[in-house]
Amino acid sequence: MGNYIVELENISKSFPGVKALDQVSFTLKSGEVLGLLGENGAGKSTLMKILSGVYIKDGGSMEIFGKKVDFLTPVTAQKMGIAIINQELNLCDHLTVAQNIFLGRELITNGILSDKHMNAEAHKILEKFQIDINPETVVGDLPVSKKQLVEIAKALSTDAKILIMDEPTSALTSKEINNLFAIIKRLKAQGCGIVYISHRLEELQYIVDRVMILRDGKYITTMDFKATTLSEIISYMVGREITEKFPRVEEKVGEEIFEVRNLNAGRMVRNISFSLYKGEILGIAGLMGAGRTETTRAIFGADPKESGQIFIDGEEVRIRRPMDAIKAGLVLVPEDRAKNGLCTKLSVKENITLPNLDIIASKLGLVNRKKEEKITETSIKNFDIKLANAEVLADSLSGGNQQKVIVSKWLARNSKVIMFDEPTRGIDVASKVEIYQIMNDLKSKGIGVLFVSSELPEILGISDRILVMADGKITKELDVKDATQDLILEYATKFDKKLDSRQEAIEA
Amino acid sequence: MKLNKNGVTWEMEKGKKQSKLKRIMAKRGMGQVITVTIGLVALVIVFGFLNPYFLTGRNISNLLRQIAPTLLTGIGQSYVLITGNIDLSIGSVVGMSCMISATLMTKGVNPWVAVIITYLAALFMGLLNGKLISKAKLPAFIATLGTMTIARGIAQIVNNNYNTDSIGEAAEGFMEFFYYGKTLGLFNTIWITMFIWLIFNFLLSRTRTGRHLYAVGSNIHASHLSGVNISSTITKAYMVSAFCSATVGLITTATSGMGTMDAGNGYELYAVAASVIGGVSTLGGQGILLGTVIGASIWGVLQNGLQFAGAPVAIRNIVIGIIVIITVLLDILVRLNKKAGKAKTGAEKSHFPVLKHKF
Ligand SMILES: Nc1ncnc2c1ncn2[C@@H]1O[C@H](COP(=O)(O)OP(=O)(O)OP(=O)(O)O)[C@@H](O)[C@H]1O
Ligand SMILES: [Mg+2]
Repeated sequence: MGNYIVELENISKSFPGVKALDQVSFTLKSGEVLGLLGENGAGKSTLMKILSGVYIKDGGSMEIFGKKVDFLTPVTAQKMGIAIINQELNLCDHLTVAQNIFLGRELITNGILSDKHMNAEAHKILEKFQIDINPETVVGDLPVSKKQLVEIAKALSTDAKILIMDEPTSALTSKEINNLFAIIKRLKAQGCGIVYISHRLEELQYIVDRVMILRDGKYITTMDFKATTLSEIISYMVGREITEKFPRVEEKVGEEIFEVRNLNAGRMVRNISFSLYKGEILGIAGLMGAGRTETTRAIFGADPKESGQIFIDGEEVRIRRPMDAIKAGLVLVPEDRAKNGLCTKLSVKENITLPNLDIIASKLGLVNRKKEEKITETSIKNFDIKLANAEVLADSLSGGNQQKVIVSKWLARNSKVIMFDEPTRGIDVASKVEIYQIMNDLKSKGIGVLFVSSELPEILGISDRILVMADGKITKELDVKDATQDLILEYATKFDKKLDSRQEAIEA
Repeated sequence: MKLNKNGVTWEMEKGKKQSKLKRIMAKRGMGQVITVTIGLVALVIVFGFLNPYFLTGRNISNLLRQIAPTLLTGIGQSYVLITGNIDLSIGSVVGMSCMISATLMTKGVNPWVAVIITYLAALFMGLLNGKLISKAKLPAFIATLGTMTIARGIAQIVNNNYNTDSIGEAAEGFMEFFYYGKTLGLFNTIWITMFIWLIFNFLLSRTRTGRHLYAVGSNIHASHLSGVNISSTITKAYMVSAFCSATVGLITTATSGMGTMDAGNGYELYAVAASVIGGVSTLGGQGILLGTVIGASIWGVLQNGLQFAGAPVAIRNIVIGIIVIITVLLDILVRLNKKAGKAKTGAEKSHFPVLKHKF
């Protein structure tokens, strides 16, 4: 018993309409990495937000470092040595990296802010953890992956003894993830207790000592990681067996339905040409920042194109804004759900029906409530979205369920081509399989599916053909039968290699 | 370690020295401050050519005194805007302060005691604004719309719905101090404004509270989770705004030697204009008080210059309205361009040489 640094007992927490946590108990030892696992909406983030003082528990008791704690705020939690890396990025875009790292505990000399001091300290912290960001950069100018690194650095800089990481790797490249794992190992050796939440179960083997599983707000079990298997973990998470992680459906490849010819749009979209055929899923692989998102956005008309043609069913379509694309039957399920995917202050129903109002509304623009209800109901059922009812605000859903809402709103209408940009980021295993199955369904129905993902296993598992992008260009097209992780990585880093050699030339 | 990418050189060792200028340029909103400063200089030159009297020492001195109220209320509004809120009660608090101070003085209260009471009353309105917004979670627009009406009502009620009589001989010193007197050849109003500006600029740029104002305006959730006291930060911004408004109210009393109930009418929006022209974002998190100085100066120069050029009030209003829209449009264009430029130089690539790990 003695070496538990956190003991939570019978913690309960309700939100209007949902019991997020039901009598959950939780322990953490120093020097261990605990994997906290569960499906979307299982209550993982809620439990950790209670431990870090963001939410106040409805019931139960908390003991931290052997001390009974009844009331915790973010500040007292921080003082007790608890740091959390939140699932959603929590940074001030207008402030610099250093200013963000020291927000709330700024360094002061003689009552005056000492930015010099903070920059130097931040530099040290970033260097110590091998995070290559200039501390004086304004955070708003950084890409998502770097922001996530800043968030991590900020948590690490508090010298916390209890570190909570809520999906820290969802936006990181594999190189950065490996770096993070090295950091985690180091902290563990120093005696920190670390809670690690992730839906990328393959990651667990590198760092996790023990796993704890939640389901529907209830405690299910705790196991030594070594004494269990991934499939056992999954079956506890889901409550049933998942037989196939990457279900594959073979279809006969038919005629071309979608073609992009010589598309140019800014530096990140250079001369992109490809075709998409009936009965296939076309995967686009590449590292973060390879230009995949920019490509899908340019195709969809969300960003301006410089040149290029787009054909659907052999006919050229002019797409200048998203509305043109939607009308032509081409839709995009965007990445970064909070920013591009959802109107967080609207209800789930309103979100699902927003792009489909042309179907639901009469000619005069009057919304047909019955149709609206029906579309919403079907979407919620098809995707098994967990919510109290369709009227709740979109931002009250758990991250994974939000993602499902975004995917479902586009599938509520009959489109010809659907582009998915990282559709499974932050989504639990079972829902991932559901989304793969939906993509397979679309493929069988003859709808074109374009599938952008940074996760190589799923790209390899689901696509029929793979385009690899690097630095705004397509560097390789592979048939899935010939593709391997190494091969994809080789072409995805074509640019990096060039940069390295150029840099070595400079250094030499 | 050196990395050259499209002409951008980043050297870790020399980084500190090199980035001094960069740091100034990277300051929130510095870009727009420079753009509008150029605009201000151009305006001054144009008006100087149009009317030789414009650039005489006397007119400049008058002009500066004319700018003072806009700048002072602009400082307050900038504080509030930076936290991502707005203060619509500024004009009414000016009126209220004017009426309270004048009424007290006409009733024979010592002018300096009247000044203190005025400040306290105004600060109370600021406190009320702050608490309504940060604690009762009213939207800033609504809360300050309410206090705007209340403060105007108070301005009317303190002297039974009449403007006051002359504040009289006893207030001579008060009038000298706030408006008519000169120190070292400059009107006291100008000194007071500079003094207040220096203090609040220091507080905003160099202290923890100042940093928190930006943080709250940039991302209120992140700030909360980082341990920033949201409520007290927002309240402080509104208190600063109220303090500045009270000062303007006192200057107004000193100027006319009496209390007028509709003093300060519309000042809150002039204050927004001064802030926004100077690069303070109405969305929060961005802007510096140097910009507000330039913004208020452009405002004043236009008023004064157009008056000299013989333009009627109506034309002046239209011109100034257009200027507000153009400056903000310019800022948006510049920012868009910067983004595009960033993409070209590869903002996605980091400043430091690529790390090489082996795992
Ligand atoms: N602020 C809130 N208001 C209302 N309901 C909430 C709120 N936060 C969470 N919930 C609900 O509580 C439940 C648990 O959510 P939580 O975010 O803890 O899940 P999670 O396990 O972290 O899921 P994910 O893996 O998707 O992040 C969900 O049903 C969610 O809708
Ligand atoms: Mg979560």
